[in-house]
Amino acid sequence: MAVRADEIPVPRGRPRGTARLSGWLDRESILGPVFVTPALILLVLLVAYPFVMALYFSLSNAFIGRPSEFIGIRNYVRLWDSDAFRQTFQNAFVFTGISIAFKLVLGIALALLLNEQLWFKRLIRGAVLLPWVIPTALSTLGWWWMFNSLYSVVNWTGIALGLMDPPGPNWLGQKYYAMAAVITVNIWRGLPFFAITILAGLVAIPKELYEAAEADGAGANARFWLITLPLLKPVLAIVILFSTIFTFSDFNIVYVLTRGGPINSTHLFATLSRVVGIDTGRIGEGAAISLYLFPLLVFVVWAQLRFVRKQAY
Amino acid sequence: MEPLSRRAFLTSTAGAGLAGILAAKVPPARAQQREISYLCWNNFAPASDKKLAEIGQRFTKDTGIKLKIDHVSHMGPQQAKYASEVQTQAGHDMVEMRMHFPWLYEPQLVDVSDVVAELEKKYGKAISSAYEGAHMNGVWRAVPQYHGMFVATYREDLFKKASLKVPDTWEDLYTVGKELKKMGNPVGIPISQNYDSISTASPVLWSFGGMEVDKDGKTVRINSPATVETIEWYKKMFRDCMEPEVLSWSDSSNNESIQQGKAGWIHNPVSAYIVAKQRKLVTADGINHHRSLAGPKGRHETDVPRHIAIWKFSKNVDASKEWIRYLLGKREVYDEYIMSGDAFNLPIYDKLQDHPVLRTDPKYAALRGEGVQYHTYGWPAPASDKVQLITNSYILPNMIAKAVTGTSTKDSIAWAETEMKKILAG
Repeated sequence: MAVRADEIPVPRGRPRGTARLSGWLDRESILGPVFVTPALILLVLLVAYPFVMALYFSLSNAFIGRPSEFIGIRNYVRLWDSDAFRQTFQNAFVFTGISIAFKLVLGIALALLLNEQLWFKRLIRGAVLLPWVIPTALSTLGWWWMFNSLYSVVNWTGIALGLMDPPGPNWLGQKYYAMAAVITVNIWRGLPFFAITILAGLVAIPKELYEAAEADGAGANARFWLITLPLLKPVLAIVILFSTIFTFSDFNIVYVLTRGGPINSTHLFATLSRVVGIDTGRIGEGAAISLYLFPLLVFVVWAQLRFVRKQAY
Repeated sequence: MEPLSRRAFLTSTAGAGLAGILAAKVPPARAQQREISYLCWNNFAPASDKKLAEIGQRFTKDTGIKLKIDHVSHMGPQQAKYASEVQTQAGHDMVEMRMHFPWLYEPQLVDVSDVVAELEKKYGKAISSAYEGAHMNGVWRAVPQYHGMFVATYREDLFKKASLKVPDTWEDLYTVGKELKKMGNPVGIPISQNYDSISTASPVLWSFGGMEVDKDGKTVRINSPATVETIEWYKKMFRDCMEPEVLSWSDSSNNESIQQGKAGWIHNPVSAYIVAKQRKLVTADGINHHRSLAGPKGRHETDVPRHIAIWKFSKNVDASKEWIRYLLGKREVYDEYIMSGDAFNLPIYDKLQDHPVLRTDPKYAALRGEGVQYHTYGWPAPASDKVQLITNSYILPNMIAKAVTGTSTKDSIAWAETEMKKILAG
């Protein structure tokens, strides 16, 4: 006797609802969106919404706790009249350019060193990450004590060793020293990120290439310039990309060490944006400051990702 | 009587309860115990914060209103807290504000004129600086709580040792300052992006006859011969009496400098001495105070009034006012609170000016208010949000910092004038 499909009894241990759910989850068109939705919600709530709000604020005359009006790009245009903003614009490029150059060179050197057969290799590799792991505000507070005019251990040591004349450099009160101080702390903090990421790239380079080069008589320099560096290019591009974004948008180091002083000479976009948007209440102008570099950073991201793609294929 | 089933009991009691809540429009938890929260700055006299907590506990015991007191550092994050609470319309019921801050948040603050009227009836008028800071458009937007006055804090022991005369004018300070620097104990006046820098630069400017903005609140007056004199005075002080470190100082740096035995003279409220005394620092005995200094156009003192404000979004306005009345309106409680501040927190109402706290230490004699011209930042311009913006943009100290580090006096003043005009026009 023929049995119709709908007459086949459903197994008792598996209720019909569960079976239907299981069937849905087997379909890629449903399971995919289910997995993506939580991430999408987080992105919308924590990234897209604040970004759109910041964009709206930057196009308005918003003042904390008061009604605001749309004023177009007037905030962006008027910022150029501000001495503090022009100074900040220059500071951001000096700070980012010098920091990244040092982090790149020192990061490669440190990665090459960590790639050697060292005693306590794992311990050392872990320790190198410490500056990157410690909360920035906390570690910068330590640096603040070291640069503080009254308690500076840097000056104390320099004077004790006869390297400095008392009272030593005014680290946080003289504009070039202050910029040097914030750059130093940024390099100290960002170096582990460069070193560890470059180390990962180094480990991935096939040993055979070095062996073949050595057999052909290539020295250490030639091996570095002709094998190591070209093969590290995609990794370096990604590291520089991330670091450019992080460094341009740095806040903690400057806020704790100098608060943008002396005379705005160390302000970055984030710190000036805080002063204008929060301390003086002009949220619209503050938002415009923080978004000023957004188009440029988008271009940097696009150019570097394009470069990485070309290298990869 | 027919026995009541469990289902019938639950149905009838839940229904009655819900009806009660709907009628009262108050959720049950709130009806049981009211809870208020108060955000205040870390006090420069730490014992005062402990006393505040103690009074808060007594308030809860006496009134049944639970009080949560939070502290925020005085070094900057308070503005971020205010801003986030206003933007989100959530947070504390009450906040402590200093100087002109109530002007910045005026539309968000509850009218507290009724509470201030009660306090003034009892203690006399609030002093002029409190009025400037919290009374706007005919309404009190914050309740004056206490004030701190800028005086000169100096190392009396060093002055005696070197036979230096206690200065009476800013010019006298230059004379003794040169000697102090030679002794390794320079004058410590911050010229950096902080409030103490403004608290000294303003009275120097005023005493030379200068001002930032005119009485009309609209005309920028920084470009004047008095400002030139002020800057020239700062230049010679920076060169001959101070060290370049003052360009990097925070609000607490001058305190630390005199406490640690470096600075010989600073311009500050008595907090430096109070902390030195409490921590039993070796410098404490040698520190004393004198009145702030005079110039060709008189003697003017920077005053820092503190207020308690209530956010409009608060759902506990009445309970918050009850706390303010408890803290400030009960004479014995207010006295207890003032005494705990060891003369850093001075009473802010007229009849309390000769307060016993001033007699707890002979070194507080300079705080007696006779003939004091209390001013808040921006004087003689009427207090306003724009004046607070000029303050928070640190234009005055930045103008001086530019001048002492090489920019010409003329260019420094022109820069400040442009920045101030932009703020007033904005």
